[in-house]
Amino acid sequence: MIRRLTFNLAPGRILGIVGESGAGKTMIGRVIAHALPAGFAVTGGSLRLDDDNLVRLTPARRRALLGRDIAFVPQEPMTALNPVMTIGAQFSEHLKRLGITSRRTRALELLDAVHLRDGAALLRRYPHQLSGGMCQRVLIAMAFAGRPRVIVADEPTTALDVTIQARIVQLMAELQRNAGTAMLFITHDLRLASRICDEIVVLYAGRAVERGPAASLLAEPAHPYTRSLQLASPTMTGPRRALLALAHRMPGLLELAGMSGCRFAPRCPIAEADCLTMDPLDRAAGPMRVAACLRVDGAHRIAVSGLPVAPAIASGKPVLRLHDASKRFRSFWGATGTWAVHDASLVIGAGEFVGLVGESGSGKSTVARLIMGLERATSGRVVLGDRDVTRASAADARHRLHWAQMVFQDPQSALNPRRMVGDIVTQVLQAGRRPLDRTRRMERARELLAEVGLGADLLERYPAQLSGGQRQRVNIARALCAVPRLLVADEIVSGLDVSVQAQLLALLLRLRAERGIALLFISHDLSVVRHLCERVLVMHRGDIVEQGPTETVFASPRHPYTRRLLAAVPPDDPALPWQPFPDEAELMPPAGPPRAAVAVPSR
Amino acid sequence: MNALLSGRVLVGAALILFVSLCAMFAPLLASHDPGEQDLLNILLPPAWSSGGDAAFPLGTDSLGRDQFARLLYGARLALLVAVTAACGAAVLGTVLAHIAGYFGGFLDWLIGRAVEVWMSFPPVILSLILMVGLGTGADRVVLAIVLVDWTRFCRVLRAEVLVTTQRDYVTAARLSGFTHLQTLIREILPATLPLLITLLSLEMGIAVIVEAILSFVGLGVAADQVAWGQMIADARSNFALAPWTLLLPMAAIFFTVTGFNLLGDGLRRTLDVRQTIARSA
Ligand SMILES: Nc1ncnc2c1ncn2[C@@H]1O[C@H](COP(=O)(O)OP(=O)(O)O)[C@@H](O)[C@H]1O
Ligand code: SF4
Ligand SMILES: [Mg+2]
Repeated sequence: MIRRLTFNLAPGRILGIVGESGAGKTMIGRVIAHALPAGFAVTGGSLRLDDDNLVRLTPARRRALLGRDIAFVPQEPMTALNPVMTIGAQFSEHLKRLGITSRRTRALELLDAVHLRDGAALLRRYPHQLSGGMCQRVLIAMAFAGRPRVIVADEPTTALDVTIQARIVQLMAELQRNAGTAMLFITHDLRLASRICDEIVVLYAGRAVERGPAASLLAEPAHPYTRSLQLASPTMTGPRRALLALAHRMPGLLELAGMSGCRFAPRCPIAEADCLTMDPLDRAAGPMRVAACLRVDGAHRIAVSGLPVAPAIASGKPVLRLHDASKRFRSFWGATGTWAVHDASLVIGAGEFVGLVGESGSGKSTVARLIMGLERATSGRVVLGDRDVTRASAADARHRLHWAQMVFQDPQSALNPRRMVGDIVTQVLQAGRRPLDRTRRMERARELLAEVGLGADLLERYPAQLSGGQRQRVNIARALCAVPRLLVADEIVSGLDVSVQAQLLALLLRLRAERGIALLFISHDLSVVRHLCERVLVMHRGDIVEQGPTETVFASPRHPYTRRLLAAVPPDDPALPWQPFPDEAELMPPAGPPRAAVAVPSR
Repeated sequence: MNALLSGRVLVGAALILFVSLCAMFAPLLASHDPGEQDLLNILLPPAWSSGGDAAFPLGTDSLGRDQFARLLYGARLALLVAVTAACGAAVLGTVLAHIAGYFGGFLDWLIGRAVEVWMSFPPVILSLILMVGLGTGADRVVLAIVLVDWTRFCRVLRAEVLVTTQRDYVTAARLSGFTHLQTLIREILPATLPLLITLLSLEMGIAVIVEAILSFVGLGVAADQVAWGQMIADARSNFALAPWTLLLPMAAIFFTVTGFNLLGDGLRRTLDVRQTIARSA
């Protein structure tokens, strides 16, 4: 799977491993942790930590090293902690394993170092009583507890909000600097990696395709893949441009076996015949830079041109109007209640793409659910076209079918694993009083799949047989079946790799050009919103705190929260400094059992 | 589908099939009427041991009734009770579980409390109390088992329904215009079905035991019906003289229950949706 990977990590340095899902990032962490999945083995090479070869360790030596000299920061902070033990108990157990005495004092010290206030109270909490960011801080504190020589952080901030992500990344860099620890920072986010890492290795299909100092690598990618990644990511500054949409996808394990030559060749925009036969070896590509490509000087030729967006088809007629819509959730005994959405007003015209941003828990999904009639507004009105659908009656639901449909965040959860694609995308035609017969539905399914760029060969597949990007297209196709005028898309590209994301964004823009569809695009990724939407709404704790044309809001934000949100995004230009707001303590959530203990929290 | 043919499932199914065939063809297989008394031939040992009589292949009990015939007819009752009681409990428990898990809120609270209160009684005591109240007879046994054991289905399935209901595809079905009932049947039931089938099989084993216990203490079926529990009760006083009269019905219960348990356990492993998905992905 991984081939000929070489890297050096000096004390006090941060090495970034960057790649899309399936590139083999996590596998590297597993090699270090000696936790390879069944069927995988290290077939050659060595991995040295000072004098120890980590690939061949005696079990005793391994136990001594792992956790103490090599510490890990996991991707999903919530699941990495034991839900039935208090933070204090887990901390104490961890410190005991490290042979640390006076554990309570040390624990409080460490919590203070990760900027968690009121450590004593925190130690009594259970993981689900903390936010994701706080859990990650606790885990970081644990990782640094044994004064490790190396820290392996596998996507430590992927599950967190942008603002929290910025703080956590800063925090890790600060601790790492102070302790002189070396860190392996594994991420899919090239821009983020370039901000905190000293050196970066770009991984593609198990091969290190490019390596070099972070700043120069981002400024001038030498490998076509790195360059493509960069061109596939939307930007926060400068003119909006089209995104590079690479064809195909990264070869999986099985395909790799039959491949010769460059692993990137099938997708490489500048590939030539020799790329298919010659395995490109590492070659120098500038000072301290190495790239595994036969045409290291050709990467800059890859370019995209043109505007992404056909100008908005702004007809006056609004498809959606929210008038002071509010939603208050209360337990059914009616004791306490929180306003998830408070007096939200918004209008979306036909063919208009509107972004809705804010951190998790700010009420974005609740707005979507109000529009879709999945929640009934506590007060205010929801109007789709010319019909008031606030009451969410059965007749409202029939009206809504052709006005608004929803695309869900997690395609895994959005598609019933027991149903074939053809049935999933046409389920609207199966519902109702006069369901269509199967032949007619399959005809329609074929049209729909073509519309989202999928072949008819997928009709009889099950969701488990599709890739993430294909699933999300099926998800969109289902929403299109009743020909709605508005799509409500809740975080639909969050879990996807940038190259897949670029393809989906292009699809949404094409749908607008072809059928003038409108879109409410909920996202925490500001650059994607900037690429896609001409208007943006910013939500904070249930209130829409700012709205306006995307360019204006992003260029001169008025509300302090919008400023904080924007500051959390690393600037595109590596020369510009990244100044997210200084790390401040997160508010401790109230101690009562939060809803997340019962329901699946939305990301 | 190959996964269904695991060892456990095969052995369990074979045992159940054997018992079912015995029950079905009892009138053909048995040469005596199970109630027919032959006071000249009491406590005969099985035919192959010394003193046995080929006319009574498995010997006779203290009233000279053919043990073989009684075992076969006992199987009829055991299976009849097992299947109807388990299905009854499953229907009641499943319907309530789906209502609670899908609609949530007050209904969920209500059903959840009912299950809790119900389960705070030890099941054996509860069924004994019910039988005293209901009177004897096979239909009463079935009713008692249904009333006691629906909670088993309800509690386990509710959790599964709750998890499935939170999947976005269920919301998507609602947004596509399906009614609640259609959504439940289309999207939720198929997800809970494997678990339901497993529980059903395990419950049949439990029902066999409960029926045996109730018949043993004389609260089960009417005196003229043959039940394994009753055979054990009758054999107690003659255990020293004729151990086989006790061991045979016990073995019959043991094999039937083991069959249902193996089947249920095997199905649980092979039908486990999450595992299946993980394997195919
Ligand atoms: N069904 C619900 N019951 C109770 N509280 C809820 C429910 N759904 C959402 N909330 C609360 O409403 C707030 C907004 O949530 P949500 O709309 O999911 O935010 P976002 O999508 O921006 O992350 C959160 O505090 C959340 O806990
Ligand atoms: S070796 Fe050829 S195919 Fe591979 S990245 Fe370089 S130019 Fe592209
Ligand atoms: Mg959300």
